[in-house]
Amino acid sequence: MARCILPVRLIAAALLISTALPVHAQSIVSDLSTREVAISTGFTGAELILFGATEGFGDIVVTVVGPSRDEIVRRKERIAGIWVNGASVTFEQAPAYYRIAASKPLEMIATPAVLSQLQIGSDRIELFSRSQRPTESILTFRNALIRNKKKLQLYSEDIFDIKIISGRLFRSTIPFPVNVPIGEYMVTVHLFKNGNHVSSEQTPLTVRKVGLEAKIFDFAHQHSAWYGAIAIVIALVAGWLAGVIFRRA
Amino acid sequence: MQIYLPIAEMSLNALMLLGLGGMVGFLSGMFGVGGGFLMTPLLIFIGVPPAVAVGTEANQVVAASVSGALAHWRRGNVDFRMGIVLMIGGFIGSTLGVWLFTFLRDIGQIDFVIAVSYVLFLGIVGLLMVVESVRAWFRSRNPAAPKRKLHYHTWLHGLPFKMRFRRSKLYISALLPLGVGVFVGILAAIMGVGGGFVMVPAMIYLLGMPTSVVVGTSLFQIVFVTANVTFLQSVNNQTVDIVLAMLLVVGSVIGAQIGARVGTRLRGEEVRVALGLIVLAVCARVAWTLVVTPDDIYTLGLGGGH
Repeated sequence: MARCILPVRLIAAALLISTALPVHAQSIVSDLSTREVAISTGFTGAELILFGATEGFGDIVVTVVGPSRDEIVRRKERIAGIWVNGASVTFEQAPAYYRIAASKPLEMIATPAVLSQLQIGSDRIELFSRSQRPTESILTFRNALIRNKKKLQLYSEDIFDIKIISGRLFRSTIPFPVNVPIGEYMVTVHLFKNGNHVSSEQTPLTVRKVGLEAKIFDFAHQHSAWYGAIAIVIALVAGWLAGVIFRRA
Repeated sequence: MQIYLPIAEMSLNALMLLGLGGMVGFLSGMFGVGGGFLMTPLLIFIGVPPAVAVGTEANQVVAASVSGALAHWRRGNVDFRMGIVLMIGGFIGSTLGVWLFTFLRDIGQIDFVIAVSYVLFLGIVGLLMVVESVRAWFRSRNPAAPKRKLHYHTWLHGLPFKMRFRRSKLYISALLPLGVGVFVGILAAIMGVGGGFVMVPAMIYLLGMPTSVVVGTSLFQIVFVTANVTFLQSVNNQTVDIVLAMLLVVGSVIGAQIGARVGTRLRGEEVRVALGLIVLAVCARVAWTLVVTPDDIYTLGLGGGH
């Protein structure tokens, strides 16, 4: 289903990149403290450090966009006193994670038109739905998606989160909550000067499970019949063993 | 001590999970029940996705019932013929149940159906337990009261495919235990329970089995049915979390042993009233989640079918 809209998206993305292409290619450099967030047994969330330098003074906006996937927003309805899931709207290829940081309030950095073009701000994320509902209703569902994502700490707008040192060096921390979705992320640093978008730099980032957790998860999805069989055998042996131990005791 | 659960995709305190397993194990050991009907709602209350709670709990019940089933087998308290007929029904029911589960999950109604099933069955079983025990208690104080008839003859006994179950001293239609098995199998798949709380009363009152073989035969078939649910949930929905199941198993086997020792010192009626009240409390707690106005009437779910 999602495949048929892909060409349109590609064109849109290409247009976006061409307009966003740096005017002065080297006016911004940045990097992350690590290119990988590893989820292991003790994972309780992670914090990455983004750092870089700009050529001359300017305003900086950082967006971190997670892997895209279909998100269903369901509305509960009260039927005979009981809350039941009723109407739903599916947003195709919505980012699973979206975080933004800026050196100033956004409205002081650029005009809403410029920000919309770059999808800066959680209210400006491009969310596509095939739903036949009236636009107003879809907007309510869209707001509900963003609100719920914010509650899960998966979407956020923490302005004033970037520290600028001596006008040229900048530094920001990107927090990843424990429920961070796995996949490929893109960290984009935008540089604005006097309300104009000057330059962008992108750094890819991977969030993945490592160690035993990754092996269990992959095994459960790739060899699910074996996984089920092993789960049963482990349970049988554990139960039998417990019986034997406690009978002796 | 936080531990990341690979299938539930969340971090929980490992000691809390061990404690939870221990607490439910203690109650299940004391009352001689599987404990799935307590564990699954508790897991949901602490934030485990309902689908994962149900799939994982089926796996835990396999471990929880196998040692009991073996113990009863050694004592000769298992009617294998009956157990196998129940098990065939259970396989059919649990396969249907997992299929239904997957369907309900796709249309976004699984959480609701799980909650409603809990309210319905815990409500009925809890009430019956309390009423029955209170009655028994009154009867013991007033021995002159008329005794209940041991065996009723109804249309159920006119069904075809009669089979002789020697161990249970029964000559009844195989359709009866088969039907009970199918029904309990569906419950096992949707509610993440062994189904003993429905199976045991059904065996006594509907099939008329002697109480000596009821628990052993019920445990025997629960092992197979929950194993089938574990397998099918793993294959269809990937919702069985081995790490979570193991933590719960370790806690519950220890708790069950302590509970069983405490349980022998209590009187039968008292135990049943206490269990009935716990069942009703869980029922009320789940019912509350259905009627209370949610903080946000909009919820998120992941789209499938890629």
